[in-house]
Amino acid sequence: MSDETGQRVGEESGQLSAVPLLVRWRAVRQRESFVVAATAIAVLLFPYLFVRAPVISTALQGYQSLAELIVIWGIFVIGFDLLHGYTGLLSFGHAAFWGGGAYAAGVFAIHVSGSPLVMIAVGITFSVLLAWVLGFLTLRRGGIYFAILTLAFGQMLYYMALQPLADLTGGDNGLGIGGTAIEPLLGFIPLGAGIPVITTFVATWMYTLIGVAMVLTVAFAYRVLNSPYGMVFRAIRENEQRAEFVGLNVQRYKLMAFVLSGGISGLAGSLFAIQQARVPVESLFWTTSGEVVIMSVIGGVGSLFGGPIGAAVYLYVANVVQGMREVVLFVQVDKLFPGAQAVVLPEWASPADYWHLLLGLLFVAVVVFIPRGGLWGGLKSIGHRIGNRLGGGR
Amino acid sequence: MSASLLALQTSSEIARLLINGLQAGAIYILLAVGLSIILGTLKFVNFAHGALYIVGAYLGLIIAGMPTFSGKLAEWGFASPGLGWGYLAALVIVPLVVFVVGLAMERFVAQPFYDRPDTDQILLTYGIALVVAETFRVLFGGQSRGIAQPPWASGSATGVPVVGDVLAFLGVNAISTWRLVVILLTAVLVGIVFLLIEYTDFGLTVRAGTVDPEMVEMLGIRLSRPYLVVFGIGAALAGVAGLVGGPLVQFYPGYGGEILVPAFLTVVVGGVGSIRGAVVGGLAFGLIQSGLIQFGFSEWSQVGIYAFAAIVLLVRPQGLLGEEVAV
Repeated sequence: MSDETGQRVGEESGQLSAVPLLVRWRAVRQRESFVVAATAIAVLLFPYLFVRAPVISTALQGYQSLAELIVIWGIFVIGFDLLHGYTGLLSFGHAAFWGGGAYAAGVFAIHVSGSPLVMIAVGITFSVLLAWVLGFLTLRRGGIYFAILTLAFGQMLYYMALQPLADLTGGDNGLGIGGTAIEPLLGFIPLGAGIPVITTFVATWMYTLIGVAMVLTVAFAYRVLNSPYGMVFRAIRENEQRAEFVGLNVQRYKLMAFVLSGGISGLAGSLFAIQQARVPVESLFWTTSGEVVIMSVIGGVGSLFGGPIGAAVYLYVANVVQGMREVVLFVQVDKLFPGAQAVVLPEWASPADYWHLLLGLLFVAVVVFIPRGGLWGGLKSIGHRIGNRLGGGR
Repeated sequence: MSASLLALQTSSEIARLLINGLQAGAIYILLAVGLSIILGTLKFVNFAHGALYIVGAYLGLIIAGMPTFSGKLAEWGFASPGLGWGYLAALVIVPLVVFVVGLAMERFVAQPFYDRPDTDQILLTYGIALVVAETFRVLFGGQSRGIAQPPWASGSATGVPVVGDVLAFLGVNAISTWRLVVILLTAVLVGIVFLLIEYTDFGLTVRAGTVDPEMVEMLGIRLSRPYLVVFGIGAALAGVAGLVGGPLVQFYPGYGGEILVPAFLTVVVGGVGSIRGAVVGGLAFGLIQSGLIQFGFSEWSQVGIYAFAAIVLLVRPQGLLGEEVAV
């Protein structure tokens, strides 16, 4: 994201009017306030475009709870990418923090208090502590062993929740929290209620809560990553040995990256528990860890905004494309055929059986051809090309 | 009198524990030995190793019996593609086929990625595993399956000539013959691989390549072919694991990922690159698991092996029989 360094003014004549704007744009978009504001606007517009906007939402067939789910998973992917994309540690056990946070929030809601904000605090705290312990164990070995060990300890938690702790977690059936156990926000705002003024955009307080969490996550992650502290993370990714020789305590920074990542994943997990009002035991299973890996890689490794895009693509395919029986096309031959036209898919082309396979193939393709870029990288390079065409020159 | 009865009871308990533990460990060992030699020699992380287990299991299902499937195959008119050649035929064909699959995997998947970072290898093989599992699900349907035990090995082991007498002497009765077959088969296969790696010229090349590939190549020995064979052998072992595990544990297309986790842990606990280590790790896991089940803590049986692994890693990060300390 911060690969814009030299902002030399284009010397080409004739395009002078475009150049200062472009330069100013490149300067502005590096600013934290701009990143946060852009995130806020995106979060605000997303459910509107996805669920309620006149033509687009019909074509997309989106719905509110999916919009919520996408933003929640987007937070999770950002947390994961903080570790993988920026510190270079590939964890295959992030389900532990997602599921752990969800279970902690859920158990707390059932036995103590169902206030959403407190549930979130409990979920984050639990995940942070869990990450501390697991990080201590798994970071003893680097590289591939880290991936294997995180995978293994994630599975350990899954089996813990499945049987020995079944009294607490509900075992195989998952933890049913129930909508009634979750109290209104701040004690008087029901999460399902409409929010005044911006209700066209976000519809419910539930989404607002999730959206605010997303904006805060991006702000937090951006601040950390652009601080000297985050610089060390990237130094470790680029060359761990050199970072060590410079005198940095690599082990400690790695552990902190792991803990931060776990904490954000726990935030996402507890939001998931609140939104679903239940915690399926699969949220601890290794396939959940795999899903976040897939989302992150498809969206783009090492980019804050790639993650949520990957989450959106994955969940969209998993929830909407999966059940598609018809594809909405836009053909406007003349005034006689305005608007959307639905084309019913033939039986053999029904994606219900293939969607997972298609995602797998997409994932493999991204790993082979654009392992560091993903979809966000692709979008960015298009943006660069347009910028260059305008004479910004890089 | 009562003391000897107690002794008899204890000895039968121990024998039962050993046999169950050995059998549970056998599957881990078959998978872990393959993983370990591939990781040790080729430095390649194969998250698709579990997919080879699934290939072996489904192949065995088709060759040995007459299963009916519900996936796309059924829609296309091949609801029952089984050959019904029996289990022994499967035992011969499956390793050969999966060996070839392993060769193809090395050439087309692993080799282009030897120079890429570890994380890319992990991501790629994870993606392959996903694609294989999904392809199987689309073709054969997602339900759990098991391979029927061959008639010559089903039932209790008490009827088997010599073994039955020994078991009777120990006071063990409820041991299925199949468990003994699995243990024996694993011992033989792993023994062969061990001898191959430790006592042949081929093994010498492979081991030398592990230590210093550049030097070996400079001595005029091409390493690409031994590497290819090592990958094939590891794959074949995974295929056999699927075949012999099929009658014991139900499998489904995504099962490869689930079984891969303890197998990987076996490698890490035993020490990477060491066949002995894989065997020791697998045995420890098997014994812990069956011990916990036998003594009434069955709900802890899965957690137990992870706890054991955590302790080993704290005390000996390089694994029980691992030598290197570097990451």
